[in-house]
Amino acid sequence: MSVTQFVFFRIGGSRPSPAVGIVALTALLVVAFGVQTAGVWLSKDNMTSVLQATATLGIMALGEALVITAREIDISVGSVFGIGSLVYLGFAPIAGPLAAFAGAIFAGAAIGALNGLLVTRFKVSALIATLGTLFIFRGICYALTEGFSFEAGDALMTSRVYTVFGGGEILGVKNSLLWLVLAAFALHVVMFGTPFGNWLLAVGGDEQSALSRGVRTKAVKLVAFVLSGALAAFAGVLEASKIGFADGSFGRLQELQAIAACVIGGCALTGGRCSIVGVVFATFMLMGIQSFLVLNGVEPQWFMILLGVMIVVAMVTDRAIHRWILLR
Amino acid sequence: MASNKTPLISVRNLSLRFGAFLALHDVSVDFHDGELVGLVGDNGAGKTTLINVICGIHRPTHGAVFFEGREITHFHPKLAIELGIETIQQSVGLCENLSVARNFYLGSEPVKRFLGIPFLDFAKMRADSGEVIRDFGLRSNVNVDDAVGLLSGGERQSIKIGRSVALKNRVVIMDEPTNHLSVREREHVNMLAKQLRDQGLLVIFITHDIFQVHRLADRIVIMENGRKVADVTKTEMTADQLEAVIRDGGHGAGAGAAR
Repeated sequence: MSVTQFVFFRIGGSRPSPAVGIVALTALLVVAFGVQTAGVWLSKDNMTSVLQATATLGIMALGEALVITAREIDISVGSVFGIGSLVYLGFAPIAGPLAAFAGAIFAGAAIGALNGLLVTRFKVSALIATLGTLFIFRGICYALTEGFSFEAGDALMTSRVYTVFGGGEILGVKNSLLWLVLAAFALHVVMFGTPFGNWLLAVGGDEQSALSRGVRTKAVKLVAFVLSGALAAFAGVLEASKIGFADGSFGRLQELQAIAACVIGGCALTGGRCSIVGVVFATFMLMGIQSFLVLNGVEPQWFMILLGVMIVVAMVTDRAIHRWILLR
Repeated sequence: MASNKTPLISVRNLSLRFGAFLALHDVSVDFHDGELVGLVGDNGAGKTTLINVICGIHRPTHGAVFFEGREITHFHPKLAIELGIETIQQSVGLCENLSVARNFYLGSEPVKRFLGIPFLDFAKMRADSGEVIRDFGLRSNVNVDDAVGLLSGGERQSIKIGRSVALKNRVVIMDEPTNHLSVREREHVNMLAKQLRDQGLLVIFITHDIFQVHRLADRIVIMENGRKVADVTKTEMTADQLEAVIRDGGHGAGAGAAR
């Protein structure tokens, strides 16, 4: 396989990748934000915080992208993020850092499996099933912490696990950014270069046709949910290592940002179309906008309003652009 | 006819119920290799439902299906495909969002392993699907990397049929294969069906055009309201007699010839 083939996997047609638009828009915003804030937005300190926020949200959004590609949705990821961080911090003093890390990922994967089974076996709509688990595990987060927060003790903070998974820095940025790059690379290759990716895209595009060709559609969806849960918990671990503690509201409302990153990044909510690169850039753009608003002294609620507007605009323009490409 | 041999597919007393609706009622029929069978009946007669059991989409409520004398206990399209049963369905079989090459081997993709990880073998997917595009004389600007959503109904049908010929199978089931096709394409499909039969495959050809299938098939099975109402070799009855059977819903002049 040549290098170009490896990078530019084609899923259908010679039309431009859905990532092109978001990459261009991001470049535009970087210049605009840099100019408007007289370089403050582009300063090392600000970029560090934007990139760190991008890393954890991005990993969560990538898991979400897998589920959306399969034409389902997972709105429980915000709570799974919280569970991941609490299991990690809570178990580290008892079981040691490595076992706590493994336990956190396992807990995320198990919640993902529960979501997946509710959807594939019990035929609950994904929106309802994951709304249920969103509340259940947020409630458990609050119950576990009882208004306090879990903190990383000295033993954990000096451990290698802590350093490797989000505690350490590379060039002044927490290494969770490296984990985002690795996860994005791996998922891009899996999505566009392996049979599993082909099944995922097929299931999202036309489930009955995929089934008729012998694709185990339920298993494919289940795996997507499990990966989504595991990645959300992983993001929670990285975030906990970044700031050294976690409370019951950890990751609250982040599910909406993750879904927004997918939609803006070029994943069709109707399934079957996905851009891993686009999701990463969209996450960076969202976090960049948030920081831009903060720098300008705008109240945080405006970010939520803007987020909602962007989702709607992305959905509308996406459909129009897609139609234009098809009819060209 | 090779009726003393173990049938390749044997359907015994098959019934299928969707809630209160009885889609198939006590259907028994045998299919042998090297046979081209026309499965005929009006819309809603149960032809496609019967095929959906054989290709693993539906599980029967009562009765059994045998493949080479062995009873099928699990029904899933994947298992049917593994037995070499290839079905060309009317409405499903191609994902519009994926390219021709990606659709071609969907579900059983050729892979090249690197560090133990299975990577799609794009070269083989492109080459084999490209061959079908050429063989079926699709428009010259149709590319293996084009999304199937960009193709016409006839082109999609050609790709489904071409795929079933290219993959090594034992049974090819064609559900209304000549719908959407031009006269020339239709002749090509009929010729392919005969070729596959001559290669020793079982070909089941579903249609409601009795005159077309009478020219083509060795044997004709007529269904009506979820029941089998006639099962004759084509020398036993003329197309006109068979048409009368269909028109009378299985109770008319020719029904006496049903086995």
